[in-house]
Amino acid sequence: MNSGFLDGTLVALALFAIGVYGLLARHNIIKTIMSFGIVQAAIILFFLNINYTLTLSPPIGDGSNMADPFPQALMITAIVIGVAVTAVGLTMFMSLYHHYGSTNWVKIQKMRKERK
Amino acid sequence: MGLYWFIVLPLIIGLLFYFSHSYLTRVAVLVAQLAFFILALRNFWEVKQGGMKLEIVGGYDLGVGIALKADLFSSTMVVLTVFLFSCMLLYNLNKSYVNHLFLFLFVALEGLICGIFLSNDLFNIYVMIEVSTIIVSILIIFKKDSQSIYDGIIYLFANLTSMTLFLLGIGYIYKIFGTTDLALLAQMIPLTTDGRTLIVPFALLVTAVCLKSAIMPLFSWLPKAHGTASAPSIVSAILSGLYVKGGVYLFVRIFDLFMPVFDEATIFMVFGFLTAVIGWVFALSQRDIKLMLAYSTVSQIGVIVFGLSLNSTYGYWGAIYHILNHAIFKSTLFLTAGIIVDEYHTRDITKISGVMARMPYVSIASIFAILGITGAPLFNGSFSKNLIEKGMSDSLVFELAFFIINIGTILIFIKYGQIFKGSSAKKSHIRWNQKFVIMLLALTCFLMGIFGPFLIEFLFGFETTVSWSAYLTKFLIYGLTLACGYLFYRVVYLKVRLFGYIQAMELSFNEIIMAIFVFFTGFLILLILQT
Repeated sequence: MNSGFLDGTLVALALFAIGVYGLLARHNIIKTIMSFGIVQAAIILFFLNINYTLTLSPPIGDGSNMADPFPQALMITAIVIGVAVTAVGLTMFMSLYHHYGSTNWVKIQKMRKERK
Repeated sequence: MGLYWFIVLPLIIGLLFYFSHSYLTRVAVLVAQLAFFILALRNFWEVKQGGMKLEIVGGYDLGVGIALKADLFSSTMVVLTVFLFSCMLLYNLNKSYVNHLFLFLFVALEGLICGIFLSNDLFNIYVMIEVSTIIVSILIIFKKDSQSIYDGIIYLFANLTSMTLFLLGIGYIYKIFGTTDLALLAQMIPLTTDGRTLIVPFALLVTAVCLKSAIMPLFSWLPKAHGTASAPSIVSAILSGLYVKGGVYLFVRIFDLFMPVFDEATIFMVFGFLTAVIGWVFALSQRDIKLMLAYSTVSQIGVIVFGLSLNSTYGYWGAIYHILNHAIFKSTLFLTAGIIVDEYHTRDITKISGVMARMPYVSIASIFAILGITGAPLFNGSFSKNLIEKGMSDSLVFELAFFIINIGTILIFIKYGQIFKGSSAKKSHIRWNQKFVIMLLALTCFLMGIFGPFLIEFLFGFETTVSWSAYLTKFLIYGLTLACGYLFYRVVYLKVRLFGYIQAMELSFNEIIMAIFVFFTGFLILLILQT
């Protein structure tokens, strides 16, 4: 990953920025959930790049010159949480769609105000 | 007994009773809950006698295993958590919507909140918060009403966004220090020679924590989540009374941790003041009683942050004591508001009247809580607010700022108090368990005020005295503030249009996210300019 100009951390931060753009500028709820996926991928990439160089081997069994296992262990947990979060988000979105029939944050907010 | 039981035991209780669905199940959960309360008290006593407990689950080295720590502050918060959850379960003994799923989620939330207070590792805190966020959003939409689903989804995504920032911050911390353990970090951070390396992780963590504790520009999710129309009232009470304190607790921890490098007390004093003022202005503009209470929570969080940032021991412990007090009176208020809404079938404050005649017990409990929150002498709010005031070292600007905050709180509850006036031909019947819980909480408000100096010494080992002559002046000051507030309410409030405009203000989802990143960028720039 650390070869030349484009190293993993940089790619991770670029992905993070793309995800954040999606959260900031998109009115579509599905795209919001997708942006969360992108942000999560960015963070996982960021963590895996900590203390990493190309010559390291995977931290399995006995061996020398292994990669740092700690961030990898953390990221397994983060991936599991990410799956749960996406599932809950999509479920809630489905239920919201049944009530309002729209995928747009702004339109739903307007409808909600009118129904009050 | 290991500390991990405080996280695991509620989950086990919830799972055991998940498979049976009778009234007896609820009673059994309640009994288990009471036993759990005794365990929490014992844990507190052990910490008080033997000092701080630190344990690592699985017996690994510090920094590798899951570290749990119980000091006086965190074990007090655990006792508070278990106490409030016991009250809520008793309160809800007869509600029809309580099924096995609700009980499981609710009890699991208790374990997770205990976990937030006990964890001594940034990543574990992240996991606890993330999972509890999911559970809370499900509890908010539990009755599947269209309004609450929108509120729940906004709550979920706003909080998740802030937690991704938190996780990125943890990544930076690990990159710099090679550990996420708070005890190890506390040793390493003072050794940092160049503060600039810590700017980015600090800004990321602080943004996330500020959203969790609903500080000024980042509070718009809170009233949605806490005040949403159809959320069960025990969920609102737990969220507003306790769960938001998890954010404040982290705020205290993170700021203590970074204290040697960054000292942002002045800025957060301003933020605390603004949060408190904006909170009461919004609260005063609402007509929905639950929303009024939710915005008043924002205002009280402002008071707590203001007290914490005063840079004095009096202010600090006053704010910590206010965290406990606020948990008690705000949950009382949310429970009583829930009963009132159920009886009147409306949340509009203008349409509710004659509560005193119709439901005397509920009214007395609410009034006790109102006296607490407005800081009437002898009640708990007065003691903690007095300590915060003592921490200001007689600075006129601070005193004035605090007066503005106080008068705001009084204004909210003068408006809220209108519902008690009037007569009602109907008498409402309230179940014994609900009556018992609200009266118990109201009594706690009073006792925590009377025994304030004793309790704060017992809980935190902080000694302070209150002379009886001081009570007399307090009565005078409270009376004067009350009169000012009433005059303001009668003369100015009813004629000002501004409040109507504020009531209609609402941020969309994208604007909430925008607020998070504007706050983050602003804070980052501020830190860069400082160092």
